[in-house]
Amino acid sequence: MDATALPAPDRTLDCSGSFCPFPIVETAKAVRALGDGAVLLVIATDPGVATDMPMWCKATHHEHLATFREGACWKSYLRKRGR
Amino acid sequence: MERKVKAIGLISGGLDSTLALALVKRQGIEVKAVTFYTGFCITETQRRKGGRADGTMPQNEALRAAADVDVDIEYVDISGGAYLDMLVHPKYGYGANANPCVDCRVFMMRRAREIMEREGADFIFTGEVLGQRPKSQRRDTLRIIERDSGLDGRLLRPLSAQLLKPTLPEQEGKIDRSRLLDISGRGRLRQIALARELGLSEWPQPAGGCCYLTDESFARKFFDVLDAREAAGGERRIAEDDVVLLSTGRHFRLSPRAKLIVGRSEVENALLERHVPGRARLVAKDPILGPLALVEGEPTWEERQLAARIVARYGKGRDLPEVVVEWREGELVEEYAVAPELDEGRVEALRI
Repeated sequence: MDATALPAPDRTLDCSGSFCPFPIVETAKAVRALGDGAVLLVIATDPGVATDMPMWCKATHHEHLATFREGACWKSYLRKRGR
Repeated sequence: MERKVKAIGLISGGLDSTLALALVKRQGIEVKAVTFYTGFCITETQRRKGGRADGTMPQNEALRAAADVDVDIEYVDISGGAYLDMLVHPKYGYGANANPCVDCRVFMMRRAREIMEREGADFIFTGEVLGQRPKSQRRDTLRIIERDSGLDGRLLRPLSAQLLKPTLPEQEGKIDRSRLLDISGRGRLRQIALARELGLSEWPQPAGGCCYLTDESFARKFFDVLDAREAAGGERRIAEDDVVLLSTGRHFRLSPRAKLIVGRSEVENALLERHVPGRARLVAKDPILGPLALVEGEPTWEERQLAARIVARYGKGRDLPEVVVEWREGELVEEYAVAPELDEGRVEALRI
């Protein structure tokens, strides 16, 4: 998805400074608290998030919208899907 | 309507646990994967340090396995104080190195039991294979793990199930024992054939070996921390801070009361920088910057000089007659002009 076409997030989770696997652990907690269809933006400095987030979304059936680098950070957008 | 059978699968992302996940799921059972963060995973440490020596970045195998098999996954952090206490005082002792595999499995299974109860699941399963590992996967230790974790009859090993006593979910007809397997031993040929049959295309090579506690060099450093604390009149214990430092840098025991850790790369220097509080920070300064090092304990003047010489040895100024090393300890800042320590024998004698 084109970064400019991404939806405004309903919540932003800043995991800067935390290492793998904690951005994923925190993402899971944050997603649990969101309603179906809500968009979460995760900001992380661990480059592992670029591979982890798409795999976590695939396993947990949430929609991975995009993960991209912006300066020293990685930004991941995902949409919560009900199971 | 009859309730769907639900199971919790403990996975590392290795071939065996991925197969166990697929075997249980293909029986129509609702599966949730759980993976534990212990703080001792070599792959995770490699990722923190920017990847492997060849420049590639290892992927998170547990997430990959759950995505491949299409099951929900939960990451559970068990790296805190209770886990560290277990590592220092294992009831069933250590394997070849600092690996108390039986106690570690019991610890994990107890947490898994809590998750099973919370999720309303019927049983737990793992990728353990009878006879594959010399300590934790023997018939007697598999039984100990089941008993001590309070999972009597609720802990299934799908890859070896037909070689083990039937578990409750097998007896209750919640899972078909005839579709489980009878694999034993260290070979992987049957697992590889099964992976192909199940359409799994990817698994990490080699199997296992992801835990620092099974590493000989790491174990030396682990026990050195415990022994040094005990020798200084303290308690044999390990802290979360220690876990990061044990997998970072070159370690030297300067004396029973002082230890030096020297960063091996810019990433390690940055990691050491995060652990300065409570330690002395050394850095080769002049004429060429780096590396960064930490000293723990209470070094004598001679040991400070020795630490500075070793730090200078690992900097780009190692061939110079003199290097200035900055020693920073709280408010105290000193500079030591030292000759890099080039006596290989002396340095190796101090290496942990």
